[in-house]
Amino acid sequence: MPLAQQSSSVPVVVDDDKCIADKGCTVCVDVCPLDVLRISDQTGKAFMKYDECWYCMPCEADCPTGAVSVHIPFLLR
Amino acid sequence: MSAFEPFEQFDEVEDIVDRLDDPDPGTRRVAVMDLADSADPSAVTYLKKALGDEAREVRLQVALALAEFDGPETADALVVAVVDEDAGVAQAAADSMAELKDPAAADPILPFVTHESAFVRAASLRALRELKRTESLKPALDAFSDEDATVRSEAISVVGYLKTEDALPALMSMLKDVEPAVRRTAAGALGFSVTTAAAEALAQSLTDSDWQVREIAAETLCKVQSTVAAPALRAALTDEYWQVRQKSIRSLGKLGVAEAVPEIIPSLDHDISNLRKEAAAALGEIEAPEAVPALEAHLDDPDPDVRKNIRWALGRIRSE
Repeated sequence: MPLAQQSSSVPVVVDDDKCIADKGCTVCVDVCPLDVLRISDQTGKAFMKYDECWYCMPCEADCPTGAVSVHIPFLLR
Repeated sequence: MSAFEPFEQFDEVEDIVDRLDDPDPGTRRVAVMDLADSADPSAVTYLKKALGDEAREVRLQVALALAEFDGPETADALVVAVVDEDAGVAQAAADSMAELKDPAAADPILPFVTHESAFVRAASLRALRELKRTESLKPALDAFSDEDATVRSEAISVVGYLKTEDALPALMSMLKDVEPAVRRTAAGALGFSVTTAAAEALAQSLTDSDWQVREIAAETLCKVQSTVAAPALRAALTDEYWQVRQKSIRSLGKLGVAEAVPEIIPSLDHDISNLRKEAAAALGEIEAPEAVPALEAHLDDPDPDVRKNIRWALGRIRSE
């Protein structure tokens, strides 16, 4: 039986076209209380490195360009 | 490394400023964010200069960043941003302007109270409100006859914050404004006064056509501390909106109007628990012995807050 070894999606999704982390912005990384966001070495954009989200939303609210969206699981809404 | 090394090391303002001339708007925007984080008052000059940036997002970031600073220089920059051609930038500037706390910041804003744009006039008055400068009184009173309802509302708030009894007749006249939202603000703004004139004017507003005006009038009357409005408040106990009745009961309780007790008691049976709660509290406040049987009959009210207030009221009445 094939098993999925990696989760295919994470709750915090960053729109790379809008993200300005490559210009030096680190707002979402700074506000995350669980410290699960990082700036990618490859793309220079923010991404969710550890899937441990509390769905507290500051990353989405504080992003200056509106690049971050947090997908809250249906049962938590 | 010494033990007193700062936890976070921010760039010096001079280092950040170089990046404000970068060809990329994203980089300029991040530079503006860094200037805001620097918390260095000298950053305000550079932020003001950055308001001339051609990129909308940079100007928007500046308008947001200026909320981190205070004083006349910040206000001077914000009045530039509040007239920005972009509505988003202007709105952010208006919000930042309302955060100003230093009374000296009022000076650059005062001329904008008569600006041609209603949005700018409203934003300026909103900013002046908390600065509480006596110089704002005259322009605010002039704005009472503004064609825009938001401007009139903001002007009333400015006068309400200044708390001068001289402005009372003008404030009371705004209770007759055509716009319900303006009348609501006026009713709330009269709370600073303890004169019978204010109480009489608010008593008249208890029969306003807009129920929210009636609600605020009833609520404000307990601050005015005058019992001249007691008959009008008692009449408001038959208002069709329970919210109005709730605020009237509260004010009657605070004012200690014993004659209202038989009229308050029926509210202990109402479906809305907030109303029952308020009625129980008011009956305790008035300390009316004749309310004891009615209160005892409701000792097992389904709402815990109501039960608590009933016990509190009974305790207060019996301790006499």
